[in-house]
Amino acid sequence: MHINYVNTIKKNSLGITGILLLFFMSLLAFIAPVLAQYSPVEPSTQTLAFPSASHWLGTNDIGQDIFSRLIYGARTSLLIAAGAGSLTAFIGAFLGISAALAGGICEKIIMRAADILLIIPNMVVIILVAAYLRPGIAALILVIAVFGWQGNARVIRSQALSLKERAHVAAAKAFGAGNLYILFKHIIPDLFPLITTSFIYHARRAVFMEAGLAFLGISDPAVISWGTMLNRALDFSYLNNWYWLIPPGAALSITIVSFTFLGYALEETIDLRLGDKNA
Amino acid sequence: MAKKTIVFFIIFLVMAALVAGCSPGAKNTAPEPTENMPSVYTVADNVGDWGFPAPYSHYLRGPGYIRMSLIFDTLVWKDENGIKGLLAEKWHYDQEQNMYSFSLRKDVRWHDGKKLTAEDIAFTFDFTKRYPYPWCDTSIVEKVEAEDDYTVKIFLKEAYAPFLTNIAGCLPIIPKHIYQNVENPSNFKGTKAVTGTGPFKLLDYNKEHGTYLYEANENYYLGKPRVDRIRFVKVSGQMIPAALQKGTVNAGEIPPEVVSKFQQNFKVLSSGHDWNAKLIFNHNIKPFCEKEFRQAVAYAIDRNRLVKISQRGHALAGSPGMLPPDSFWYAPEIKKYEFNPELSRKMLKKLGCNQQNFEILTTSRFSRDAELIKEDLEKVGLIVSIRSLEDKTLDARIEDWDFQMAINGHGGLNGDPQCFNKFVLGGDFNSVRYRKNEELVAMLEKQLSIMNDERRREVVREIQEVYAAELPALTLYYPNWHWAHDGKVGLYYTPGGVSIGIPVPLNKLAFLEGHNVR
Repeated sequence: MHINYVNTIKKNSLGITGILLLFFMSLLAFIAPVLAQYSPVEPSTQTLAFPSASHWLGTNDIGQDIFSRLIYGARTSLLIAAGAGSLTAFIGAFLGISAALAGGICEKIIMRAADILLIIPNMVVIILVAAYLRPGIAALILVIAVFGWQGNARVIRSQALSLKERAHVAAAKAFGAGNLYILFKHIIPDLFPLITTSFIYHARRAVFMEAGLAFLGISDPAVISWGTMLNRALDFSYLNNWYWLIPPGAALSITIVSFTFLGYALEETIDLRLGDKNA
Repeated sequence: MAKKTIVFFIIFLVMAALVAGCSPGAKNTAPEPTENMPSVYTVADNVGDWGFPAPYSHYLRGPGYIRMSLIFDTLVWKDENGIKGLLAEKWHYDQEQNMYSFSLRKDVRWHDGKKLTAEDIAFTFDFTKRYPYPWCDTSIVEKVEAEDDYTVKIFLKEAYAPFLTNIAGCLPIIPKHIYQNVENPSNFKGTKAVTGTGPFKLLDYNKEHGTYLYEANENYYLGKPRVDRIRFVKVSGQMIPAALQKGTVNAGEIPPEVVSKFQQNFKVLSSGHDWNAKLIFNHNIKPFCEKEFRQAVAYAIDRNRLVKISQRGHALAGSPGMLPPDSFWYAPEIKKYEFNPELSRKMLKKLGCNQQNFEILTTSRFSRDAELIKEDLEKVGLIVSIRSLEDKTLDARIEDWDFQMAINGHGGLNGDPQCFNKFVLGGDFNSVRYRKNEELVAMLEKQLSIMNDERRREVVREIQEVYAAELPALTLYYPNWHWAHDGKVGLYYTPGGVSIGIPVPLNKLAFLEGHNVR
């Protein structure tokens, strides 16, 4: 009935690559305090230093160690990926299932709200809202989630509507199962693959958005972020500072690629199962 | 057959176009350079748009005034040697009548060909009574009389020391025949609005691209400018060195790290310390309305560390009295607020202000300063968040008092000490608008009427002392600025800044034959 994620990913080379890359980035984030030789935030008077044995990737304009900031930056990215990914997936699933099960005016309101958000280019809205909110990781997660659930909600609603009419749900009803029992025992487990894919998709989107907003300067400058690092490095591009510019770009690419590969691998399997069920 | 004819016709057209393109007759319409002078002198600017360059619509910052000053002249003007006549040939001050009499040049014409007369000067001053020109407070002027076509008398309400530099050398003279029917000068834009007497005429302004194009005024009374056109283009700060090296721009500000490299092939100009970055307190709200709180914050901030780290040593630490150490008016003996986190902590505890949350507004330009200040303030128990805004949004938020603390900056500190009145009592975002200390307000008003420099210096010294004690804003540092140019025009930093003290090496007189230094 339900997907075995480990087996699914194991059979897919893209999935394995994605998992390995994500594991690598997570490991970096986790052991950052061990790997970092310096505090990522402590400035020093040794500014704009070239890579050396003491500073592997040199120092930035206020003397912070670039390597330490790079690995601590993974924490910010992955935290926002996990936070925004799960919150978006949860809001999408909650609203999608509610619309499908409640129907009537409730369904209409939720779906029209989703339509409106689908029409508005959400990157622009997120930039505007982020510019007016107090900056910070929590605010960023909230903004990304609040303006990102709509596509997810539509897909989940249509799938939940279909599940509602399935034979096993009808059978459960015939045996006297209540709405909540059916929801938690049959509908949510069957929707779980979709919710997981949605999580992966939105986690990838959140990494990209966080870096983009930080790059544009619409974030808390005190938060260690690859986007901010890229922004700062570009300010000093006249010094030919490749050692400052390339690492955050590469780290960002690896993280986004890892989520993308993982998403592909899961999507392939889920599409197949949904196809089987619909048949 | 028809197909062949069409193909032949197309080939013929292409060939004709190629021949026409390669022929010697295909010339750029831009004027030819003379004497190794570029026909278009290009200045790089990392902001771009500084507003429409008419007196009432340029943005209220130095570069906005500079762009306007190329088109509009003033009665007098500062060059590298001090004040000289521009529209006025000579002038004298009558102490008894408290009146300045200006004899105007007789060969000045507006860009539309009409002659400039004393009526235009009188009209300009009258116009500023109805529509104050924000850069220049003319309220001290009692009346203006045009004695004849070329003599104008300006009567003052009381003695006013900075009259020549800050009014006669700042107020752009506007044409009566055009502006007399203008009801809303800030919205008056277009060709007529930029009819001046200056050395350049505006050819094109593009707000979106942040570009300006001027052409030389061939009939300029001090002679035709040495370049046919001046163009301002928007180039990001980090790309200006590359643009200079490629020769796509002739002049621009360069980062301090590349100064030694540029000194080999370019002329590099280094500024004085006319510009300051400052931490502004919103003294209308608690706890910033308590001067002890502001002082505690000053003790918590290590300004020398800001200079060493955020400015990488290319600045001077700020004086709490606002004026820089290289100013004639600087008072060295004022309270310095040397870095003392222990004292700051005690003061904050006494005020019951530790562990409070505060927000610092800034722009990307000062975000490194904000990070270091946040770190300093958190060490004394204040919790600080930083918010980075776009430049003009920050200016607007400060003007509306919509902030707690903000980091912003302005120039004009090496000019006449009237700058103190502008930055303390003035009404715009550059001013701290602080009138809570009556002694300070009285001294600021008094210093304007002292015509003797030494006596005035004594009062300005006291002003700095009281200002440092009140601390409506804390000057953080005075950066060293550097401009590089290809030497084709002898740009220079005007001592005391252009007009009322703009620290930009783009004095319009540098573009005139016999008026520039190399």
